[in-house]
Order: sequence, then C-alpha cells, then structure tokens
Amino acid sequence: METLRTLFPASNFALLAVILGLPLLGAFVNGVFGKRLGKEGVRAMALAAIGGAFLFSVVTFLMLPHAAAEGAPAEKLVWNAWRWMSVTGRMGQSIPIDVAFSVDAMSATMMLVVTGIGFLIHLYSVEYMWEDPGFARFFAYLNLFIFAMLVLITGDNLAVLFVGWEGVGMCSYLLIGFWFTDEKNASAGKKAFIVNRIGDFGLILAISMLVYYVGSLTWNGIEANAGALLTPVKIWPIGNLSAETLPGFLAKILIPAKPVQVYASTLVGLALFLGCAGKSAQLPLYVWLPDAMAGPTPVSALIHAATMVTAGVYLVARLSVVFLLSPAAMATVAITGVATALFAASIGFFQTDLKKVLAYSTVSQLGFMFIGVGVGAFAAGFFHVFTHAFFKACLFLGAGSVIHAMHARIHDVNKSQDMRNMGGLGRYMPITRWTFLISCFAIAGFPMSAGFWSKDEILWKAFSNLPLAPPASKTVPMWAWPANLGPAIYWLGILAATMTSFYMFRAYFMTFHGKFRGWEIVKGWKAPASHGHDDHAHDDHHEAEESLEGPTPRESPWKMTLPLVVLATGAAFAGFLMAEPIHIAPLGHLLEPVFEHASKAMTEREGAKGLMWPMMLPGLGAFLAGTGAAMYVYLNRAGEPERAFAASSPRFYKLLVDKWRIDELYDATVVGMVDALADIFTMADKWIVDGILAKLTAGVVALLGTILRAVQTGRVQVYAASMVIGLLGIGWFIVQPHAAATIDDTKLKQNGQVVLAAAPGLGYSYLWEGPGIPPAKDYSPVNQLSVRLDPGEKKDIVLHVRNAFERETTTTIPLARAGAKRMGDPGQNQVPEVRQLPTGPIPGERIQELLKPGGFQ
Amino acid sequence: MTRLMAISPLLVVALGGVLLMLAEAFSHRREEGDVRHTGPSSELALGTAVTLLAGAIMAAAVWMVGPEKLETLPGLAPYYVADRFTLFFTFTICLGGALAALLAGGYLPEHKLDRGEFYPLLTFGTVGAILLAAAGDLLSLFIALETMSLAVYALTGFRRTSPRSTEAAVKYFLLGSFAAVLLLYGGALLYGATGHTDLAGIRAAIMHPAAAKPANLALVLVAAALILCGLAFKVSAVPFHMWTPDAYEGAPTPATGYMAVAVKTAAFAMMLRVLVGGFGDGALASWAAGWPPVLALLAVVTMTGANLVAGRQESVKRMLAYSSIAHAGYVLVAVATIPRASEEAQASVMYYLLAYTVSTIGAFGALVLCGSRGAEAVSYEDLAGLGKRHPAVAIAFTLFLLSLTGVPPTAGFFGKWYVAKTTIGAGLYPLAIVLLLNSALAAYYYLRVLVYMYMRDPAPGAPIAKPMRSGYVVGALVIAGVLVLALGIWPTTPIELAVQAALTAR
Repeated sequence: METLRTLFPASNFALLAVILGLPLLGAFVNGVFGKRLGKEGVRAMALAAIGGAFLFSVVTFLMLPHAAAEGAPAEKLVWNAWRWMSVTGRMGQSIPIDVAFSVDAMSATMMLVVTGIGFLIHLYSVEYMWEDPGFARFFAYLNLFIFAMLVLITGDNLAVLFVGWEGVGMCSYLLIGFWFTDEKNASAGKKAFIVNRIGDFGLILAISMLVYYVGSLTWNGIEANAGALLTPVKIWPIGNLSAETLPGFLAKILIPAKPVQVYASTLVGLALFLGCAGKSAQLPLYVWLPDAMAGPTPVSALIHAATMVTAGVYLVARLSVVFLLSPAAMATVAITGVATALFAASIGFFQTDLKKVLAYSTVSQLGFMFIGVGVGAFAAGFFHVFTHAFFKACLFLGAGSVIHAMHARIHDVNKSQDMRNMGGLGRYMPITRWTFLISCFAIAGFPMSAGFWSKDEILWKAFSNLPLAPPASKTVPMWAWPANLGPAIYWLGILAATMTSFYMFRAYFMTFHGKFRGWEIVKGWKAPASHGHDDHAHDDHHEAEESLEGPTPRESPWKMTLPLVVLATGAAFAGFLMAEPIHIAPLGHLLEPVFEHASKAMTEREGAKGLMWPMMLPGLGAFLAGTGAAMYVYLNRAGEPERAFAASSPRFYKLLVDKWRIDELYDATVVGMVDALADIFTMADKWIVDGILAKLTAGVVALLGTILRAVQTGRVQVYAASMVIGLLGIGWFIVQPHAAATIDDTKLKQNGQVVLAAAPGLGYSYLWEGPGIPPAKDYSPVNQLSVRLDPGEKKDIVLHVRNAFERETTTTIPLARAGAKRMGDPGQNQVPEVRQLPTGPIPGERIQELLKPGGFQ
Repeated sequence: MTRLMAISPLLVVALGGVLLMLAEAFSHRREEGDVRHTGPSSELALGTAVTLLAGAIMAAAVWMVGPEKLETLPGLAPYYVADRFTLFFTFTICLGGALAALLAGGYLPEHKLDRGEFYPLLTFGTVGAILLAAAGDLLSLFIALETMSLAVYALTGFRRTSPRSTEAAVKYFLLGSFAAVLLLYGGALLYGATGHTDLAGIRAAIMHPAAAKPANLALVLVAAALILCGLAFKVSAVPFHMWTPDAYEGAPTPATGYMAVAVKTAAFAMMLRVLVGGFGDGALASWAAGWPPVLALLAVVTMTGANLVAGRQESVKRMLAYSSIAHAGYVLVAVATIPRASEEAQASVMYYLLAYTVSTIGAFGALVLCGSRGAEAVSYEDLAGLGKRHPAVAIAFTLFLLSLTGVPPTAGFFGKWYVAKTTIGAGLYPLAIVLLLNSALAAYYYLRVLVYMYMRDPAPGAPIAKPMRSGYVVGALVIAGVLVLALGIWPTTPIELAVQAALTAR
C-alpha cells in the first residue's frame, strides 16, 4: 500500500489512467479484432478488462485519503491528464478546462458499483449472449459503456463529465438497438437518444451558465465560487423588450410592472435538473426508459437500472452546492421525484411484461432517489443509488434468467417476457427464485434489507429536513421552503412505497408461483432439429399452435446464477453500510466530507425531533400492506381480483395498462408538431429550393459550361490563339494608364482635410486640377494632394495620369462634406464644428463599458 | 563538405536520379507486352520514391538546422537561393513526386507500360522543379524550367502506342515552347532595360530609376506583360490553359498526377520568386496598374471558367484536369493579395499548394486504384456502384474528393479557408466572394463522383471499373490520406512554418 502511495501520489493519481484505459482497450480490441479473436478471446478480453478495472477500483477505494477523520478538509485523488482548452470568462479571465479526473468517497463508491456490478453482468452476459451472432460487438459496446461511465463519475469538471454523459448515452443507444434489424428496437434506441438530447440541452445550458457566473467548471472551483450564483437575473422581459418597443395592447399583456427576477442558482439548478431528468428518466422525460428494455436483458440490468440512469442523481449530488443555493430548484427536484415515484408505480400495477414492470419500478425508484437529493439528504439519495444497483440488477438478471428459460420453447421476444405465460417457475429455478425474492424484499423495504435502510432514510429526511434559505439580496426575495412540504412528500412517498411492494410481489407471484402457463411440460421432450436456440428473430409459427409442448424449464448455468447470488447477498446486507438509525454507517462516514456543506445548510424541522423510530412504522406498514395485498390477490386467488377489477372499470384499467397514454399524448403534440413542421420544410425544399432555385442555377451553369467547352476544339492553333488573346489582353492592360486615387477622409469631420493619393504605377507622373489648387504646369511624380473642405462644400478634383508610354488618362474625384453651408469667416465656422463633434472614440468606449464585469445585468 | 549542406536536398535527388538511370540501364530490360506481372518498375518505383522522400527529409533537416546558419558555396547565391522558401517548396515538390512514383509503380506494370525510363525522367524533372523554386536569377530560372518541362513532355508522351498520348505530348511541347519563348523574350527585355539578370538587381533597378543607368520603364512594362503570360501558361491559368486538359488526359495517370502537383507547385514557386522578388516594388505591384489586378482577373476567369467546364465533363480524369486548373485559380487569388498582405498571403499560397498536393495526388491515385487493365476507370459511369463493390477504394476516393471540395476537417478546407481569410483581411471582398461561390460550384462535380459511387448502380451490361491490386498505390494513398487528415486537423503548424518561409517583400 505504501509503495502504491508513493507511486501514485494523491495529486497525480495516474492509476486512474489504468482504470479508464482497461475498458477502453477492451472496447477497442473487441470492436476491431472481435471477429478474429473468436468468442473465447472476446470473453477473456472483456472479463479481464472489467475485472482489472474492478481490482484497481478496489485499490483506489482503499487508498482514499482518510484526512476527513482527522477533521482536515477532504482530499481527493487527482489525475490531470492534459490541458483541453481554455475559455475566456466574463471578467476577461482565462478559464482552463482540463481533461482531469478525481476520486473522492462518492466517486470511489460509484466506481466500485460500476466496475463490480459491471463485472458480474459481463460474466452473466457471456452465457446469456453466447449464441448471439453479435457476441463481439456486444462486448465492445459494453466495455465502451463502462469506460464512458467511469469518465462520467471520475471527471473532475463538468466538461469531462459531459463527455462521459454523452458517451454513456451513445452506448445506451447502441445497446438498446442492439438487435437493430427489428424496427421496434431501432426506434426504441432512437427514442432514448432523442429524449436524452432534450435533457442534454438543459445540461449544456447549465454548463454555459456556470462558466459565465461562476467562472469555473471544476468541482472545487464551483464549490469555492458558488456564491456568485446568488446574483439576481432578470428573466422577463427579455432583451430590450419593453413597453416602448411593443405595441400598446401587447405591452399590457407581456410587460409586468416589475421585471421578473430570479437567482442565477435557480436557473442553473433547473437547467441541470432538466439534464438529470432526461438521463434519469424523470417526469416528463421518463418515456424512453421503458422502451429501452428492447435491448438485451443484461444491458437493462447494467445500464438502464444499475448505473447509467443514476447518473442524474449523481450529478445533482455532485453539484449539491448549487442546489443548496436555491430552495426552489430543490423543491422542484423533490416534487418531480415524488410525482415520478407515484406515477411510475401506478403504471407498474398492471403491466404484464416482466421487464416492463421492472422498468417502471426503476423509474419509480429513481424518483425516490431524487426525493432524497431534493430534500437535501444527498448522502441518503446517493445511498439509494448504491443499494438500488444491487437489488435492481439482481431483479433484472433474474428476469433475464427466467426469459432465458422461457426461450427453450417460446422464441417470440414479447411472449417470452409475458408473465401470463409464466407461473410456477420457482419449482424449476430455485436459485433464480430465491434471489428474486430477496431482491423483492429489498425493493419493498423489508426491515433490515438494503432497500429498507436507504428508502427509510430518504423518507425520514424528507419528513424532517428543512433547507435553510441562503442569504439573499434585499431586492429579490428568496423562495422559502414551506413547512408542510416535507411531510407531504413523506406521505406520498409512503404511498408510492406501498404500491411498489404490491406490484413487485405481484410480479414475483405471477412468475414463480402457481401453475406453469408457458407450455405443456413433457418429460424428455426433444426440440425439432431445424429450430436452433440461437435465432432471436420472430419465429412465431410455434405460437400459432394452440397447445404447445416443451421440456421442463431449467435453471440457468452457474455463470448466470453466480452473479444472482452475489447481487442478492448485496441486496440483503448492503444496507448495513449506512444504517444511520442503528449507527452502523461506515459509508456514511466516508461520504460525510463530500456533503459537509450540505449538512450545514439543513436544519431539523420543528416537531420532528425524536420521531425517527415512530416514522419508520408507516414504511413498515407500506411493506406489509403492499405485500399482503399482492399475496392475497395473486397467490391465494391467482389473480382473480385483478380480472374482476378490469371487468368492473374497464376504462380505468385500460388506461393504466396503456401507461396513461402518455406516449400517445407526446405523439399527438410534440412529435406531431415537429412532423408538421418537417412537412412544411419538405414542401418548401421540394418546390422552391429544388424546383425553382436549383433547376435555374443548374441550367445557367450547364449552358455556360457547354459554351466554354465548345472552344476546346482540340486544335493546337486555337490553343495558341487563345494564348495570344491572353497576351494581348494583359499587354493592353499594362500599357494603358490607370488613373485611380484613394481618399483618406479620416480627418474630414474634424477639420475638413482630405488627402488624396493617386495609385502608383511604374513610370507614372501626375497632374492635379481642381478649385483651390495651385495650377501645375506639367506632370510631376507628386502623387499626393491635400484638400480642405468647408462644411457643405463640394469639390471635383481632376487627376491626370501619364505613363511610361506617354499615354494619358483622366479621372474626376468628387469630394463633399456634410453639414450646413455657412457664410462668413472661417473662424466662426470652427466653433459649431467643434460642438457637433461626435468625438470618435466614445461609441467604442460604451461597448467597453458594457463588457466590464457587472455590465450585463 | 559542410558547404554542400545547404543544397543537399537537390544533390540527393540529382544523385539518386543518376543512380536510378544507371540501375535502369544495367538491369534486364523487359519488353512491353510481357505477361509476367512484376517488371523493373517495382524496384525502380520504390527507389524513386525513396530518393524523393530522402530529398524531402533533407529539406526538413536543413530547415531545422536553419539555412541562414549554413555556409554556402561562393557564387551560388542568385542562381540557387538556399533559403527557407526553397526548402518549403522542395519538401512539397519531393512529396508530390514521391507519391507519383509510387502510383507509377502500380500503374505502369498493370497497363503494360513497364519501361524504366519513367523514373529517371520523373527524378530529373523534380531536380528541375527544385531548381526552379530556388532560382533567383533569370538564367538559372530558365534552365530549370526547361529541365523540368522537357522531362514532363516526355512523360506526357510516355504511352507511345496511344495516338492520344502522343498528340497531347506534341501539343504540350508546341505550346510550352511558345510560353518559354515569351518568358525568354521578357527576360531579354528586362536585361536590356535594367542591365541585370538577377531578380534582386532587376528589382533594385526598377525601384530606383535615378540610379547610375536609369531603366527604360516602358521596356520593363512590356517585359512584365510577357513574363506574366509565360507564368500564367505554366500554372495553366485561363486563357493559357488549353493544353492542360489534353495533356492531362493523354498522359499516363501517375504522370498526370505529377504534372498536376509537382510541376504546378514549382511553377507557383517561380511565380512568387519573380513577382515578389523581381516585381515586388510598389509601382509594379500597384493595385491599380501593376500585376495584382492582372492576376486577380486571371484568377476570376480561371476559377469560373474551369469550374463551369469541369461540370460538363464525362471523363473523371478530364474533370480532375479542369479541377486542377480551378485550384490554380484559387491559388492565384492568394498570389494577387500579396501586395496587401505579404507574409500571410504567401503562407496561404504555400499551405494551399501542400494541401492541394496531397489531395490531388490522392484523387489521381484513387482513380488509378479504381481501374485495372482493360477495365480502367475513365467516365463517371465506370464508377457506378463502386461504393458497394469496393468500399475501401470508394472511401479513399471520397476522402480526397472531399478535401478537394474543401470539407472540414480535411487539408483542402483549411487551404481554402486561409486563402479566403487573407483575401478578406486584405479587404478584397469581391475576390473572396467569387472564390467562395466557385468552391460551391466545384462541389457539384466532385460530389457527382460520390453520387455515382454510392447511389447509382451500373447499367446492365455496361463496362465497370475493376480495381487493381497494388501495394504501391495503396501505400501512396495511405500516406496521402493520413496527410490530408493531419493537415486538416493540425493546420496551424504548417501555416506557421509557411509564414517563416515567406519571401521578404523588402
């Protein structure tokens, strides 16, 4: 360890290069040479890369400076790779942007999650994807994803984070559309990408505003200068929109009596949160995540449940200092979080696709995380990211294991994931069943499980925390956090938790209990030879048959079950890393320095004191109520009440199954509008640009080209004649005298002086003529002439030029000066002239003034 | 020995040429029509490429040492000016020549033109080109010009059995002689008017007419007109361009590539030497009455005329010939701005020529690679569907055409960008606008190749081009492709070097 510390000092922690480099190398090797390496080679490369990255992440975690324990400020492990660029700030200062990486407790924990769970999922995928023709491509993408995710979490500034942010987005797109030959998968990929772009717009906006207001993009820089964000910004009316520049009736509607001002911190916070809502699938941008389940199941587990989607939570926690400066932004985060948690849970109620249920539960759990970071419990929110990674990855992999088993007989993707075709699988797949059950307990918040500690911590903090308003300016009041908002979020969260335990156990019972509904199990059944297992394509003539016969469903091999066991262990016990109520919280201590400022900005709400243990009871109640209801409906009555409900209020049931028809709403509004706009542009392009403009220009160009081409006859005499014409033309130009003069009138407005300079030429001599010019007798080499003009006066100067061939030419230069013509002696003329001087440099100075700090407000 | 250091690039190339000639003479000559695939070409092509690259490397080495610090041979000065300008152009010319030699190594055996004299001709032509870039005296300038031209005439007529090739060579020779006479006559008049043959002396005599023996300025003007015509012929500016399409089409494609890059680059070096070194004083470089407006007009006519005709061509090779004329027009724009923005304008000329060299030789090389014996790629139709049949070849072709079009991040984009930037910086907005409009016009015929390669299928039964297999051609394309991208991604370093290489206007 000591050797490592000397080898990689905290200020130049190049070990990160290895951690980042290994997955990148894996992606490169598998992507470029994957076909040649063969499956074994790809497997070795991918597993070695991620396994190595995990080992080094563990080393990094152990090497984290423990300065925090001694009360010193938290140190980070920093590796500054190279200077990327530098931009100029609003004070005119240079803001360096480096490709720099740093690790503190939060990013080290994330690194462990990403590489550790990533390794397990790689191991699982080796089995799951073994028969797929795109085996090498899959692992290249997966390794590239790990690289991008590590860049995201170790980046030391927002610019590097953004590179990783976009990188994981791209990998997600590639992996959702992994089986791109299917139209549905390809469009799911596109949907994910486009919805994320909307969020990225917010993130870019936030980055720009941070550069502008804070003048730094590094975490330390933002933290140090965050105070600059407490600047009021006028957001309406924008620009120079004012009562004067608008017609009367519009001004009445649009221009308020007092300009609307908000704090820069609120703007930055909201823009950041838009980015996070896109990546972490919050309302209203959640729509891409359920569709993203079109990708292979390990991808859903790794990217769309455990790691990438939590990047938004990570970013909010990372920039907690910005959010703490704006209670309004925090409230937005928390309210969006609880709304998403409820909304997604309601959709999860009656979904029949196993992966869809898990997808909506992911959206719902992400909502819980945002409640945490929104109410100022950044550590708790981040801890939920951590625990969720275990149980959700386990659930997804379990689902993958089930689907893998279903594929023995049902090849259609949709039908093999449909829970109505499952049931009773617990008998055949014990490991999958038990791990799934443990994870269900965890997500439902069974006491002492991982989800219990993190979720209850979030809800407790929501109940008890009251963010302090930061010191505000006198002119613009700071929005204050209402006292009853916290309890409201708490009770809504409890409701969401109840729903969560209901639909999760519904999924468990429908899948693992009851009678198997997939096919008629025939002992010793053999697959017809022509149907290999490897085709993932639709193969639905089997399903056309009424009664299907098939083998006994089998448990998956160890490469798939081992990750399940490890993850389920985590789901059961990871909570004890930060079990705050019983004071076992090693992770909490580690995270303390990271969120030091956050704890200072929070206060305990009045009346919450001592209620921590009692307030756990509703959480426990939520678990009992949800689980009990699910047990009654799906285990004891085999889903009969659900059918009864569907029959009694069919429209509401249908609405829930159709996910509140939000996708249809978006199709009709946003997508429809864009489509209509595109149609208009297409028409304009077709008729105006392509039709008239393009045809016309092309015609003219073609005609000219044809004419010119006709000269190229191939006869050498014509060629020589063309040269002679060129020679004559050049000769004529050179022999001919050219009279031209440049006019220097910079002093015209001051004192009426104009300097004329005749263009030089070899052997030229000049003769000037004009009013007020002493007549010259003959041509002279003098090529400059100074003329004085009175205001309003006009003069015509004649220039004669004679060249070396004694040829002459003449040109007339008209000069004029603006201003009223005044009679009288020149002395009087001077006075008003001076007064009306526009004094040249002043406009320039005004611009300078605007550029000074504080100019734009 | 150290005194030879300054001219080492030239010596390397010249010695290499002699050795190659000897090697060729003593090797087993093989008759045309031999069916075996490897001929003397293979080794000679490699030898030539190595020789010329050695010349380029020597030029770079001398640059790093600093030619100012080197002692030179006494009396060398005006006849061979060993400055950074020479080195920069030597590098560009040698690079172009080396790539052309590699192309020839694949092309000549494939098309049964496998005769060894191609390589000594190419090498000695390059010697002439280097001398031309270095010549500071009208006498050595003329000798260098003829050395280069004679080699190129022979290369044009290299395809002896083809009447078209022979015809092109004769035409080129006749018109080239005509142009040489104009240059020579202009030089003689200048000597008569000023009493000097060295460019610096001529310039001094023009600038100070009150010197011991005043120059006859009328005679100087006539001489300037004649010399401008000679220069315009060598860079193939409209209306002195008419030999170009015929010669380019008739010559074997590697020779075409050589003419389009090395010869043209040398001609522009000569133009800069004469115009900046000899005619650079204020009166003759006046924007009202001197050579800049002449060049600006030539540039406009050249760009527009060449682009218009290029769009009407059916043969890709002829289209590339016209495109090289149009590129000469773009460079002329930069040359015309020299009196207004000396160093920047010269640097943009030099960068443009470097970018143009790698892009053009790449485009010709891709065209070579597209065809094989009996199935040569000539017309657009021949290339139809190439993108599907041979994606690698099509990608290479695409890269070079995009660079010629001026699409970032290729070298061609920054070439045009710097030219436009200097032109706008010099306040010559109309010229810049014409330049940009012409680049748009040119995109039509470059992209048309892409349309044929990627979006058309060959008509059933129509002849289609079959790509040849040659490591030499592929090697040349890889080098050119890497340079096209490298120059496009890091354009500032070559531009800074070119600024250092610029001739001083004083």
